[in-house]
Amino acid sequence: MQGARQARKYRLQGAGLDLALPYLMLAPGLMIVLGVLIYPLWDGLRASTRAYRYGSPISDVGLQNYVRLWSDAQFLNSLWVTVKFVALSVSFEAVLGFALALFCLHEFRGIRLLRTVLIIPMVITPVVVAIVFRLIYASDAGMLTALSEAIGGGEAQILGNPLNAFIGLVVLDVWEWTPLMFLILLAGLQSLPHEPFEAARVDGAGAWRVFADLTFPMMRPVLAVAIVLRTIDAFGTFDQVFVLTRGGPGEATRLVSIYGYDTAFKFQQTGYAAALFVTIGLVVLALAFSAIRLLRRVDAS
Amino acid sequence: MSSVLFRNVVKNFGALNVLRSLDLAVPDHKFLALLGPSGCGKTTALRILAGLDMPTAGKVFIGERDVTRLQPRDRDIAMVFQSYALYPQMTVAENIGYPLWIRGTPEAGRKAKIGEVAAILEIGHLLDRRPRQLSGGQRQRVALARAIVRDPAAFLMDEPLSNLDARLRLTMRGEIKRLCQRLSATTIYVTHDQVEALTMADLVAVIHGGELQQMAPPIEVYDRPANRFVATFVGNPPMNILPAAPGERGVMIGARIVPLERTRLTACRLAEIVEIGLRPEDCSLAQPGEPGALPGEIYVVEPMGNETLVNVRLEGGNVSVRAGRDFRGAVGESIGVAFDPANACFFNSAGLTAVHRVNSNGRVK
Ligand SMILES: Nc1ncnc2c1ncn2[C@@H]1O[C@H](COP(=O)(O)OP(=O)(O)OP(=O)(O)O)[C@@H](O)[C@H]1O
Ligand SMILES: [Mg+2]
Repeated sequence: MQGARQARKYRLQGAGLDLALPYLMLAPGLMIVLGVLIYPLWDGLRASTRAYRYGSPISDVGLQNYVRLWSDAQFLNSLWVTVKFVALSVSFEAVLGFALALFCLHEFRGIRLLRTVLIIPMVITPVVVAIVFRLIYASDAGMLTALSEAIGGGEAQILGNPLNAFIGLVVLDVWEWTPLMFLILLAGLQSLPHEPFEAARVDGAGAWRVFADLTFPMMRPVLAVAIVLRTIDAFGTFDQVFVLTRGGPGEATRLVSIYGYDTAFKFQQTGYAAALFVTIGLVVLALAFSAIRLLRRVDAS
Repeated sequence: MSSVLFRNVVKNFGALNVLRSLDLAVPDHKFLALLGPSGCGKTTALRILAGLDMPTAGKVFIGERDVTRLQPRDRDIAMVFQSYALYPQMTVAENIGYPLWIRGTPEAGRKAKIGEVAAILEIGHLLDRRPRQLSGGQRQRVALARAIVRDPAAFLMDEPLSNLDARLRLTMRGEIKRLCQRLSATTIYVTHDQVEALTMADLVAVIHGGELQQMAPPIEVYDRPANRFVATFVGNPPMNILPAAPGERGVMIGARIVPLERTRLTACRLAEIVEIGLRPEDCSLAQPGEPGALPGEIYVVEPMGNETLVNVRLEGGNVSVRAGRDFRGAVGESIGVAFDPANACFFNSAGLTAVHRVNSNGRVK
């Protein structure tokens, strides 16, 4: 105790401002975070335990909103659609992104231009992307219909058909977000050490073995991080669906985000919607944690 | 095992000419040290031999085979990289066994071979670890083990000891030498450390400015350097060089005449020598006024424990002299430097050795 006090005294001598400076510099940022992150979070949590009428809380219902979720067929369906959507999109994005990154690792003429072009989809506003895809998919005057008619077929039914609409949504997401995977994986590939690859070539490995024995295992942590990031992000997909299908036809593309939006703003069940989003948040958090845990274990073994 | 041959190998990196026409022949079963200062193109030469870089011109042979255009994996070589280049996510055993695994050696044979090699290098207890859990010296051994697990046409080693501390380097030096003798393998060992080259190799090839300066057994490189560069690069402290000119009855060093045998003096005169080279151990300290000794004053005294290095300032420049461990002298004191001219060599204005020491291998006492 005496020693600790002594140490504190020594440290403080002549260093008062130096010690306080980091906290002073953190303070504005901390205030903003508290204001726009922590408070809404807390407010949302509070809302999820209340029942609302005409936009204002009328009673505390405890955890009833949460319990109700699990017997709500529409919610369960939207959850299932979301999981399918996330799994499909993210796997395609990972495979495509990895392939593109491997390809762009080689130095050749025009590689810089190619790398730049490849990341364009990612930087376009999602709503704009969705509008463009609607123009492509539209059954009356869309590009696909035009194409189909040019080769003698009829109207292309994309957004009107449940399965096609879902696939169309996945295609849109893959088109828009493969570049992110590509970018992260390319950075990862470029940061790998050179020598083991040269050693493998001297040791007798061909291109496929180098990939399977070196590239892939060495890239696994980066790949996992990229997948976790994309998964979390994909769970929250909203604007593209909102513009493209509004969740239809039927419930074919109704992701939880759309269902939550409808619940809150169409049906005015603010408390129930809050409970829904908190639940989804927890699910995503659990997913991310288990992915990272898994990654650690693989790394340590 | 096979011989290795570089024929007129040229390598340019853009406008930078790193190797200009390298010719090098390593006989079968020989240990060749490729010695040269940093940046002289040693690694480049080794990478060309390994197939990791393409020569701009020239050919490379392993055995009878022209391998210039072959993939590394078709050259049948094993390489130890300067930075070890272990496979980070494989265990030590997997690292060592990888060249065998790639070649489809069955599990049992692979295991036996890994065990055998690990025993030689005393890393048997590390087989389940990963490279990052090893010390530098242990990684070094794993890299060596991965190379010797096969029986390749040649071993290439790129400064494998440069990352180790001085003590470990000494131990590993001996171990690699033993290992290579035991395997009787054609080995090309790149180093910028002349002690390593002299102690380990059957043949030393000195490279400078992208050209081969001399290739000979270590003793010969040391005693009969082909030129001024080799003379000053090999040996620690390096050979002393003083300006000299052939005179009437001997060689003039400054105002002093050093008597020289008739035939050697004639040779010196014909070659128009401009410098004399003397190994520090061929010089001795003498009284300032002693006849035949060059007068000077003590510049630095460096006790090494087993001997004392004395740097003396003479008329034409400084010379190092190996003196006994009990030498006592103060900086600035007058002193003389004596030597037997039979041990000296002489360089002409082009820097080539025109006249060698009298005994081809050894010194006149
Ligand atoms: N990929 C490259 N591109 C351009 N220049 C290079 C390249 N590799 C090497 N060089 C140049 O070639 C020269 C020789 O390099 P090298 O690596 O062969 O030297 P080294 O003899 O192995 O030196 P060290 O003892 O420091 O390892 C250096 O001047 C280096 O800058
Ligand atoms: Mg090098």
